[in-house]
Amino acid sequence: MRRVAVIGVGVTKFGKHDRTSTELFAEAARDAVVDAGVEPRAIQSLYYGNVTGGESERQLHMGPLAASLLGLPTIPTTRFENACATSHAAFRHAVMEIGAGVSDVVLVGGAERILHVPTEHATEYFAYCSDASFEQPTGLTFPGVFALIARAHMDKYGTTEEQMAHVAVKNHRHGVHNPKAQFRKEISLETVLKSPYVADPLKLFDCCPFTDGGAAVILASEEVARRMRRPVWVLASEAATDTMFMHEKRDLSRVTATERAAAAAYRRAGRGPEDVDVVELHDCFTIAEIVATEGLGLFEPGMGGPAAEKGWTSIGGKFPVNVSGGLKSKGHPIGATGAAQIAEIVTQLRDEAGPRQVSGARTGLTHTLGGNTATVLVSLFGRD
Amino acid sequence: MTDEVVNLKDFFAEVRAGRLTAIRCSQCHELAIPPKEFCGSCGKRAWESVPLAGHGTIASFTVIRVAPRGHVGQTPYAVAVVRLAEGVSLLGRVTDLPLESLRVGLPVRFRPLVIGAETLIGFGPA
Repeated sequence: MRRVAVIGVGVTKFGKHDRTSTELFAEAARDAVVDAGVEPRAIQSLYYGNVTGGESERQLHMGPLAASLLGLPTIPTTRFENACATSHAAFRHAVMEIGAGVSDVVLVGGAERILHVPTEHATEYFAYCSDASFEQPTGLTFPGVFALIARAHMDKYGTTEEQMAHVAVKNHRHGVHNPKAQFRKEISLETVLKSPYVADPLKLFDCCPFTDGGAAVILASEEVARRMRRPVWVLASEAATDTMFMHEKRDLSRVTATERAAAAAYRRAGRGPEDVDVVELHDCFTIAEIVATEGLGLFEPGMGGPAAEKGWTSIGGKFPVNVSGGLKSKGHPIGATGAAQIAEIVTQLRDEAGPRQVSGARTGLTHTLGGNTATVLVSLFGRD
Repeated sequence: MTDEVVNLKDFFAEVRAGRLTAIRCSQCHELAIPPKEFCGSCGKRAWESVPLAGHGTIASFTVIRVAPRGHVGQTPYAVAVVRLAEGVSLLGRVTDLPLESLRVGLPVRFRPLVIGAETLIGFGPA
């Protein structure tokens, strides 16, 4: 495969918006074009991510719509849906299109708009990402899925609700320095621990919010990227899948798709966890961050909780995790999240992240998880 | 050996009648919850259906307090993954057990739950 680089990124403010999701994507894509310094007409195709548009906006066929709003109505487009890993999955395929020599400049990203519908509708649409035969009829929600994982992790390793709360406190502390974040406010351990249960043992402040927002990334072949002023190289972009059914997971305390996607990404990049300077990972719930830090090999199984408690994942710690504020504080527009994580790592590797910059970061990792731990994408990025 | 794969409609019709059905690979003896075309263990397609007794223990559980539309009036309710005695697991709604009595390892027993038009797997006292 040819080498591929990220040459431009754009992210909207995350939070509540009164524009459509495709408008939000178009704003992010416009910023990415300006950031890259390319002519819009240089873009040869669009890989677009969105999850709930059919239900929440009565809008399908969003790829051509997004291209039309951008003023590029004739480029080939494809819409991706891989639950919360949607735009990271789109990213991997865009990398492969350039790697295969089909195109030289590709736009990828996604958007979501959900805050205009009532919470119980949003909860239902998100639950469509779990199985409709065995799981949805029981009333299992996404907080419920991760509560099952949390309980198993607590039972196996002694992980505590306090350790999970430390993840929330840390990500909110990081998010204060991200102007795009939905919540830019520090919270106390007590605030998390005293918040009401949503799905025991997960409480309100263990959960990321519903969010509107868009994110975009422009990819280029090595030949094009070499002419740009600050390309960030894609060292690997790997996907792994696990059984869709909660009843078929062999060990509820693990996310095996994370372990397999990470192993494949490290192998392809010729790097290991010890080489990673900054990580954006999928903290849809605090327990998800704990399990992901173990699955990515940053910490031994069972040590994700103590690592959060001891500050090893804070800026200045051994492995700075979710310096953007993560999904917890930055917000989680599910169709945009993967691209937004990539945008953060690119910003970090360019040394442009301001007060949230991880000093001297040269290698970064993004991890995005979709649905009931069935889809995982892991990508690695480098300055050279 | 049979080529009949238990489909979802038949599986849940059996659930409604109070019976749990699994499928066993006649080549490698892997036990699975249907439907499944190929054996995940050996790759063959040689299933035979086998009844499950419905006895198991809670592998993990949660109490849902914020529900999706359609379940809002039912909160709080518990959902559990139950490891059945035969070695496969099933997800179901916990019923007829006090929420505060739930713990990992608690013995439970399958029972059908019919709520409106939907048939659910339920687990109650052993």
